[in-house]
Formats: sequence, structure tokens, C-alpha cells
Amino acid sequence: MTMPAMAESEHLPVQQAREGDSPAWDTLFRRYQLPLYVYVFELVRHEQTSLDLVQETFIAATKYIGGLRDDEKFGSWLFGIAHQKVLLHWRKKGGKEFLWEEIPDSPDESQDSPDDGIIRREQEAEFMKLLEQLPLPQRSALLLHFVEDFSIEEIARITETQAGTVKSRLHYAKKSLRKLWEAKNENPA
Amino acid sequence: MKTPREVLFERHWAARPKLDAIRREMVSKINHQGTEAQSYPKGLVFWFLGCSNTLWRELIFPSRRIWAGLAPIWVLLLVVNLSQRDEPQVTMDKASSSAGMAATFEQQQELLAQLIGPNEPVVAEPQKKYVPRPSSWRCFEIVTV
Repeated sequence: MTMPAMAESEHLPVQQAREGDSPAWDTLFRRYQLPLYVYVFELVRHEQTSLDLVQETFIAATKYIGGLRDDEKFGSWLFGIAHQKVLLHWRKKGGKEFLWEEIPDSPDESQDSPDDGIIRREQEAEFMKLLEQLPLPQRSALLLHFVEDFSIEEIARITETQAGTVKSRLHYAKKSLRKLWEAKNENPA
Repeated sequence: MKTPREVLFERHWAARPKLDAIRREMVSKINHQGTEAQSYPKGLVFWFLGCSNTLWRELIFPSRRIWAGLAPIWVLLLVVNLSQRDEPQVTMDKASSSAGMAATFEQQQELLAQLIGPNEPVVAEPQKKYVPRPSSWRCFEIVTV
């Protein structure tokens, strides 16, 4: 099983794709199809809807690639489109679940002890299983952080929020996951 | 130990065939669009050729004798039409010749005047002045007559 490589470790043929080169698009789609699907699925929790949204994202990408200024930001640009598609889907559905309610400002990082705010690496995999229990804004930020290792600024751009808000969401997401993890360990049944 | 990324990808690995199908469909669409855009002028030529071929096969060839019979008539009409195009020039020639005729007429009149002399003007009698008279005079005149 070969995982798609991270964006910074590869050269993507964005310019060729912009010129309408189909093998270049094939490379780009191949690279991002699974990460996009994972991100969308973990937000909408429906297989066919997720596949449709990924396809819509690809269609929009081929349509608006001319508007992308920086080729290096193709990944975050593509995830931005997918994020907008998810929001649109939820608005159409009238889902109240996807209200992007704001949470308190980012706490000072110094307040977090190593065991408090930051999830230990060995626990991360288990924590991901508890991901769906998180509020959607936190889930979105955490997925973008884990799936593509996007920076705070990139996640802010994708979700169209402030960097401080993203920091806050990530902090509370990790904290919530830790609590859920502890609750699960206390009550294994 | 697996990373969260690996865990997530493993969880959704089963969706890959469907994602591959979407990718292939998208790429073939892009490929098709590109080919369509490149072959547009060639396609237009083929369309015209196809139309002319259909026209020949279905309209002209089955009734070729009739078309052949009509052909001399069309040629004749064409000749007539072309010959009628010269008409404005003839009209212009006519206009210019009428001006020449007027000049000749004037010359002839001058010659005639020289031969028979100039026409004397007829002196007209001066018109009698109307003098109003009393109406009793008229009665007098009747009596005297």
C-alpha cells in the first residue's frame, strides 16, 4: 500500500495542468484523490456524497486552475475548494450540525503541559478513531493538520478563518480527543 | 506505530477503485476537450464535405437528367442577367446624346435666323382705358339709335 506523498516532497505538474495537459491532471488527481476523500468523508460521513464532492472539487479545479497564482499552493487551494463544497452541501441540506461556532480565543501555548495540550504520537492513531465525536470546525482543522500537514496559515486560508481561530480549534480538538481517550480507557465497555 | 495520516488512509483505502474511476473519467473528459478544441477547423471541413456529399447523393444524382436539362436554361438566364447589367451605361449614353441634340438644334435655329431674318416683334395695341360713365348715358344711347 503506497500512501500519497506529502506536498512539499514532490514537484507537481501544475503548470502543465494549467495548459490542459491530461497526464498532468492525472498525476494531480492521483496525488490528491485519497487525501481529499478522507477529508470530505470525515466531515460528511457519507460515501456517495463524499465521492460526488471529490468529483465536484476536481471539476472546479480544472475550471478555475487559471486563477491559481502560486503553483506551490495547489494542495491548499484544492482543499479550499473541497472545503467550500462541503459547506455548500451542508447549507443545502440545512444541517445545523455544521455551524462553525466560534470557540474562545487560542490559549497561551505555555499553559499547556506536554501531557495536556499535545497528544503523544503513539496515541494519535487511537485518537483518530474518536475523531467523529469532535465538533466539525475542530475536526476540519485537525484533519487538515494530520492529513496534509498543512501549516496554521494554510488551514486558515482553506477554512477562511483567522490563524488564531485555527490555533484555538486545534488546541481544543486535541484536548477534547484526550478527554475522550481518557473516558474510553476508564470505561472500556 | 502508525501515524494518524496512515490510520485515516487505511480506513478509506477501499474507496480507491471508485476514486480511480472518477479520476479516469475526469482525465478522459479533459483529453476529449483538448482533442475537440484542436480538431475544430478540421471538423468544420469534414462537416462541409459531408453536407456536399449528402446534397449530391440525395438531391442531384437521382434526378440528374432534369438537372442537366435545367442547366442550359440557367446559363441562358445568367447571360441575360449579365447583359442587363450594361443597361445603366446605355442610359447614360442616351442622356449624353440628348445634350448633343439640343446643341445641334440651337445651331440650326441660328442658321434659320440668318437666312430669313430675325422675327419682327408684333406691336400690340395699347389697351383702352375704361372710363366709367353714368348709367343714364347708356339709356340715352339706346334712344338715339
